[in-house]
Amino acid sequence: MPSLSFAATIILDGISYGMVLFIISVGLTVTMGLMRLVNLAHGSFAMIGGYIAGYLTQNGYNFYLALLIASIVPGILGGLAEVTLFRPLYRKGELAQVLLTIGFVFVVTAAVTGIFGAFPYPVKFPDYLTRPLDIGFRTYPGYRLFLIVVGAIIAAVLWYVIEGSLFGARLRAAVDNPRMARAVGMNVNVLFTGTFVIGCALAGLGGAVGAGILSPEPSYALKYVVLFLVVVIVGGEGSFKGSFVAAMALGVIDTVGKYFFTEAAAYLLYAAVFVLLLWRPQGLLPPKSVA
Amino acid sequence: MTTIPTGKTPAVPAGINWLGLAGHAVPWVIAIVYYFMAADYLTFGTQIMIWILFAMSLDLVLGYAGIVTLGHAAFFGIGAYAAGIFSIHVSGDPILGHLVAIVVAALAGLITGAMILHTTGVTFLMLTLAIVSVIFEYANQAKWLTGGDDGLQGMVINPLFGVYPFNIFGNTAYIYTMVVLFVWFLIARRLVRSPFGRSLDGIRQNPRRMRAIGTPVWWRLLAIYTISAAIAGSAGALSAHSTRFVGLDTLSLLTSGIVTVILILGGTRRLYGAFVGAVVYFYVQDWTAKISPYFWEIIVGGMLIATVLFLEGGLMDLGRVARNLFLRLRRSRTA
Amino acid sequence: MRWFAGAVAAVALSLSAGAASAAEVVKIGLIADFTGAFAVWGTQFQHAIEAYQAIHGKTVKGPDGKDYEIQYVYRDNVSAGPDKTKQLAEELILREKVKMLAGFDLSPHAMAVADIVNQVKMPVIIMNAATASITRNSPYFIRVSMTIPQNVVPLAQWAYKSGIRRIYMITSDYAPGYDAANFFSKEFTKLGGQIIGADKSPQQETNFGVYMEKVLQAKPDALYMFQPAGSPSVSLVKAYTERGLKQAGIKLLGTGETEEFQMDAFNDDVIGTITSFHYTETNKTPLNVQLRATLTKLYGPKETPDIASVAAWDGTDLIYRSIAVLGPNADGDKYIDFMRHAKLNSPRGPAEIDPVERDIVQNMYIRRVEKRDGKLVNIDIDTVPMVKDPWKLENPPKSN
Repeated sequence: MPSLSFAATIILDGISYGMVLFIISVGLTVTMGLMRLVNLAHGSFAMIGGYIAGYLTQNGYNFYLALLIASIVPGILGGLAEVTLFRPLYRKGELAQVLLTIGFVFVVTAAVTGIFGAFPYPVKFPDYLTRPLDIGFRTYPGYRLFLIVVGAIIAAVLWYVIEGSLFGARLRAAVDNPRMARAVGMNVNVLFTGTFVIGCALAGLGGAVGAGILSPEPSYALKYVVLFLVVVIVGGEGSFKGSFVAAMALGVIDTVGKYFFTEAAAYLLYAAVFVLLLWRPQGLLPPKSVA
Repeated sequence: MTTIPTGKTPAVPAGINWLGLAGHAVPWVIAIVYYFMAADYLTFGTQIMIWILFAMSLDLVLGYAGIVTLGHAAFFGIGAYAAGIFSIHVSGDPILGHLVAIVVAALAGLITGAMILHTTGVTFLMLTLAIVSVIFEYANQAKWLTGGDDGLQGMVINPLFGVYPFNIFGNTAYIYTMVVLFVWFLIARRLVRSPFGRSLDGIRQNPRRMRAIGTPVWWRLLAIYTISAAIAGSAGALSAHSTRFVGLDTLSLLTSGIVTVILILGGTRRLYGAFVGAVVYFYVQDWTAKISPYFWEIIVGGMLIATVLFLEGGLMDLGRVARNLFLRLRRSRTA
Repeated sequence: MRWFAGAVAAVALSLSAGAASAAEVVKIGLIADFTGAFAVWGTQFQHAIEAYQAIHGKTVKGPDGKDYEIQYVYRDNVSAGPDKTKQLAEELILREKVKMLAGFDLSPHAMAVADIVNQVKMPVIIMNAATASITRNSPYFIRVSMTIPQNVVPLAQWAYKSGIRRIYMITSDYAPGYDAANFFSKEFTKLGGQIIGADKSPQQETNFGVYMEKVLQAKPDALYMFQPAGSPSVSLVKAYTERGLKQAGIKLLGTGETEEFQMDAFNDDVIGTITSFHYTETNKTPLNVQLRATLTKLYGPKETPDIASVAAWDGTDLIYRSIAVLGPNADGDKYIDFMRHAKLNSPRGPAEIDPVERDIVQNMYIRRVEKRDGKLVNIDIDTVPMVKDPWKLENPPKSN
């Protein structure tokens, strides 16, 4: 029977993994819920964040500065992309969105290969994060604790913004009832672009801090897009709470599954998704307009 | 001068629409010409035709019935493995193997469809993704059956009708694929023009109303899903027979993604969209991959983006867009 | 009938290969991954070949005294699987009229072309694929890279000799991983050691935290890993250093995971890791020094040679030599006959081809990761000379 310290490790592993998924996917759930955009390109913003952090840390820049830039640049790129490429998509339907966002992923993947090469591109974390830390009853990787802390801070900040601020209120209104939101005169364009920028910035940050688990490489965007979509859909599109719960659940299921059923680990996640979606087709915590 | 309506209906002009018929014959003429002109590159043509068939099967569910799936590679792969495993353990006869593949794939479509077709939208999408991923993982692990990562080894395909061998030159494979594609095309065309096909159109646009007028929506969707799976399985069998090999990538998410891209690129709900999409995608990829490794990704990606932004209905729309442009130019000149 | 014409053409092709094309340019078709998860291999092939041609020139004098230019035609497998490889091979053979095929970074790719090269009797020089049984699939396959069993058996022997008795294995869930797990555990238990746990990780796994936990719980003397090159290797080694396994006294044993081009991703905790490999980047053979210098000159200081570079270099050398002796239009069988008796002049050290199996026989080096001049490198600590592939020794051919 696994000991308490061991069980704690598994849970912490699952939660830290889930935090990475949450940070990257929360932007996607908001844009999918708000703009009803099937955005398969979201992973590319995370990838860009990872690569930028990799480049800066490998060339000696301060780690936290690298994280900042790794968030800002994808955010800006996201804003530009939203205004030029994605905005025409809102009225074009799902298929067009799928096609364009896949095309976007191809272009970004090629660009990243051309600039950084085909090899995995690691982020150099500061020394204190690459060593195990003594947390009392055992040692545990400092990096994972860092992820949990960062994730919790971001979740708290987002919670405050979404539940407590005017922007958040507008966002929730627009997700719950887009037509009414427009009718009361909200500037939907600005809202959409702003949300998209923030979502991409968060994805970039997630890609950068999460680089120890999901390493930046050219196939990153295509490889992990399924994971992010799963978090969003299982959680419920547009639901911030849902994406948090789904990310935690999937992180823990994946980790626990790997421990107990290493052979079936790959099946386990997808089987879990299958069951969860059949049980709750709208997602675990869907926003009001869908529930 | 007014015409006074008489009781008689005006006569329909007798005779065949030669222009229309010629238009429909174009892809087949091209295929036949290619056979003679590109005798050293037949495998490429065969590959394109297999993907046309695959994309066409997707069109039936995606374009006509509005079922948005990212798991269609499951049926392609199941058909390919069924044909391959059949040839190793039972008989190398290609026609028998092909039929087995169709039946197995159709069964897979029937069972999975029955489990998930009550859901819609992104939920359904995720479920199809989960299904194809589980099947992929199983094939990876079941090395004894599928060869796993190495692919199915030891396939021996007997000559077609005992006479025409499947070899490096690919003549048999090409003609065999072309004929199968033609047959399925005729069937698909018949299907979409039938009352059943029309009802699918209605279901795509407004399922609630279709239910209201008494259409058994779920059963119709299940039927077209199964048929589409059968056709995808047929394309898989063709792939197995023509390359005498089956690899894990036939079941991969990437394969599902590519066939979806090909179909949307060419244009959905036209059946011919599959033709245009596959030809353009593979030609561009082939040509650009030779220039530089990752160059093709930029070109293909850019092509997809441009198509979505400028051509509503995919590349098939090029004709319409070009004609409108031409008419507008002509009008502005005479104005 | 077209089929009959096709058969006649096949025979004609093999008998008088190249009669239609001018004898000046000799094309060699190279199929590998240049994009996608395994893009490292194709890139290494191409860079090493260009380095070789920069030193030795692009032409070779044939037995008739005429100059022949060796031209590589590269084709990207676009991560599309073995059926794409088959299609590319057919195009190279029929359209580009190549004299030989080369490359093949993944075993399924090589296996897929067996039946077509048999039909046209085309030599295939395998430069990376490592599944043991490949060279049995066609009499036209020559391998200059390595086999997995060849790599892992000496490591198991060394581990036992150095006092390790309990080992936990984490290998990747695909064919090479099965080979590695199989042969390592067989050899180790035969000598008297114990495999106390074995896990198979998904092929592209990068999240090894849980696996490390299991290892910590099992308390082995050493952890044996086998992961594909790229992010899985890097992630596992990082997890080892991050989770305190080193502090717990668990040694790390591996095969190719500490290749020099991946070292940048690790911190100093990787020092002391023992790997067995057929090529150590820091070896001082003159050819290796030359290879490194040329690569640096052509591609910059960050370019490090690796196993695929060496194999491509040696493969090209073999091709040059066979054209020099036999000319560009010899029969496929003659080329194979020449190559299989060849001794390689390789940057890796002594190596030759086994005439019966057409497979590589070479030294295996046991190396330890150390820090030299501020860089993490592999340093040889032992050599096992001229290892023949163990799988072949266990499974002798049924008929020649």
